[in-house]
Amino acid sequence: MADSTVPDASPPTRRGLYESSSQYQHWRFSPTQLQEMRDNLTNKAVSTIRAAFERDEPGSSNALEFLSSADELALVRLYATKIPQLSAHFRFSEEIEATGISYLKRFYLKNTVMDHHPKNIMLTALFLAAKTCNRMVAIDDYVSRIPKTTAADVLDLEFPVAQSLNFEFAVWHAHRALWGLFLDLQTLDPPPDPDVLHEAHKIALDAIRRSRLSDVELLYAPSQIALACLHRANTDLVRRWLATKGEDLDFAEGLCNSITNEIDAHGVAPPVEMVREIDRRLKLCKNPETIPGSRAYLRRRAELEAMAAAKRKRKAERARAAMEAEGDPFGPGMGDGAGAGSDSSGAGMDVD
Amino acid sequence: MSSTKVGGWLKGATVKRGGLSSQLASSSRLTPNTAQPQTTSLSMFSGGVKDSTGKTQEYSSQDDQCPVCKSDRYLNPKLRLLVSSCYHKMCESCIDRLFTLGPAPCPVCSKILRKMAFAPQTFEDLTVEKEVAVRRRMHKDFNKRKEDFIDLKSYNDYLEWVEELTFNLINDIDVAETEAEIAQFKAENAAIIEQNMQTDERAAQELREEEERERAEREARMREMRSQEDAERAEREKEKNELIDRLQSSDAPAHKLVKQARTEAQKRVQRATAGLNLGARSASQLLRSRAAMAVPDPPHVPLSDDWWDYSDRFTLRDNYDDPMSDAVRADVDGIFRAGGYRVKESWERAIRFAVAGLDLRPLDSSPDVVMSTA
Repeated sequence: MADSTVPDASPPTRRGLYESSSQYQHWRFSPTQLQEMRDNLTNKAVSTIRAAFERDEPGSSNALEFLSSADELALVRLYATKIPQLSAHFRFSEEIEATGISYLKRFYLKNTVMDHHPKNIMLTALFLAAKTCNRMVAIDDYVSRIPKTTAADVLDLEFPVAQSLNFEFAVWHAHRALWGLFLDLQTLDPPPDPDVLHEAHKIALDAIRRSRLSDVELLYAPSQIALACLHRANTDLVRRWLATKGEDLDFAEGLCNSITNEIDAHGVAPPVEMVREIDRRLKLCKNPETIPGSRAYLRRRAELEAMAAAKRKRKAERARAAMEAEGDPFGPGMGDGAGAGSDSSGAGMDVD
Repeated sequence: MSSTKVGGWLKGATVKRGGLSSQLASSSRLTPNTAQPQTTSLSMFSGGVKDSTGKTQEYSSQDDQCPVCKSDRYLNPKLRLLVSSCYHKMCESCIDRLFTLGPAPCPVCSKILRKMAFAPQTFEDLTVEKEVAVRRRMHKDFNKRKEDFIDLKSYNDYLEWVEELTFNLINDIDVAETEAEIAQFKAENAAIIEQNMQTDERAAQELREEEERERAEREARMREMRSQEDAERAEREKEKNELIDRLQSSDAPAHKLVKQARTEAQKRVQRATAGLNLGARSASQLLRSRAAMAVPDPPHVPLSDDWWDYSDRFTLRDNYDDPMSDAVRADVDGIFRAGGYRVKESWERAIRFAVAGLDLRPLDSSPDVVMSTA
């Protein structure tokens, strides 16, 4: 871990472009934060599902064994390994593959596996990634090339996934930073041997591919991840490069170590048997509200309908009141008197 | 039902070409051999306006009936209904009967009319006829333009007021007051009205002259083209004859003479086309001349914010050893570069990614936790 007790040497007066990105502002956490988030999510899900089960049949949930956050993470990681295979099947670029994995990981920071099974989320994440990376595939084409999938499976989840991502679709990836490193290293003086450079790049790229299974992209900047992977491949080159950039070598090396440790620890596919067992348990403890046709599902649907109807009625009431008061269902105009008041009420109308 | 009604009250029978035949064709079977009197005279009178183009035709239908004497086409084959200035219809015989001895009251509304106050009908619907006449009259006097007003609101108010007056006149509401207001307006704004009338007249005149010029130009061009074609043809004929003469008279082998003739023909064609091109301006030249005349835009101020773009952290080279972009740089068909893609921009982005956020400290556990372990 980087030593945080060392104070920042002269607070930076300029803020880099990376700090304007949504990835830096909203999708950057510390390891403890990540753990907390995941634990909270799992606990909340467990209590909701328990309540749903209780409403159906009291006492049924005591025998159930719910998943832990580690189990969830393992399941998500397994499906993250499937994305590269699928992406190769469609001949997608590495950008799309990496974006899909990012979307999958980010989605499961806001949702739980017991509500949405990663199987379909993975397909939707890849579909969405293809769209946002400007390489859209038609849904029929996509679905026809994946066995046992219908268009509805993917499209029904597209909006929830996008919503969980907070519609922040741009992801900065480490493999591009690695490419940049590879190019910039050629400006070193004396320039490195091309074969050595190519070899180092290859090894580092492999490490980056493994890193996608771990959490590093939620903890570190993509340039730092690329640096760490290249550092492991060819330390000397990286040291020379850092020297030319005037970087603090200790800080950088410490960072590289933490990152490579993290990759080594979690950048592996979880053992299939373990995941199969988790999946088995998941089938039992799945949220009944997500199983179409079950009582809980229908009850939830009715609840949502009631809420929507109430909201519609409120809106109609407001329009009617405005009609009676002003003779105009849209309420008083912007310029006649009630300008500021109507503005704020108008803005607040839909944020129920 | 009138057989000539096209449909809709506004669509009258004003511009119906081939009037006579269409009338006969669609006429009822009752009177197959009735000759319809069609006025296609050059001085068609309607609402006090002469139509000089001769295109408008009088409106008439098969089941016209004079409301005064109730005669129709059967009783009076030459029935022609004229409209009074109070917009009531009457046949010519009734008009003769009632008004030959001087002004008399209208049998429908008792307004005093003279024989001259009658005009043939243009529109199927008399209310339309009245409206057109009223509007024509109003437009003559109320011809102020937007430039005559200080702001848009006063212009709109003026237009609304004019429309109100027009509406009153058309629907006979407060006619006396409306007429008084109109008279007042005319008296007050006589100068401006006069001015605007003259401007309109001038504009119409210019338009006519412009059209004349264009027509003349077009004809001149056509004539030139035709004369050129004739010249071409004459030349070719001459050459053919020359060739034949030469073949007849000279001793040289035939194929040489033919080749000679052909090269001469080619040279002539080249000269002709060169001469043409010097005159005509190509599209690009025209564009350039227009661009030179264009007013320059104010300088564009781009959006500025103070994000650091890391550009001082690296220098971009023009060329890298880069296997990833080999396919793009080879790009034989130019497909990749079609949208303005440049490899250098891609490289710049990659290197920027490589230096972006390099010194960012990763988020650690909250400060109090660190304090406890420190």
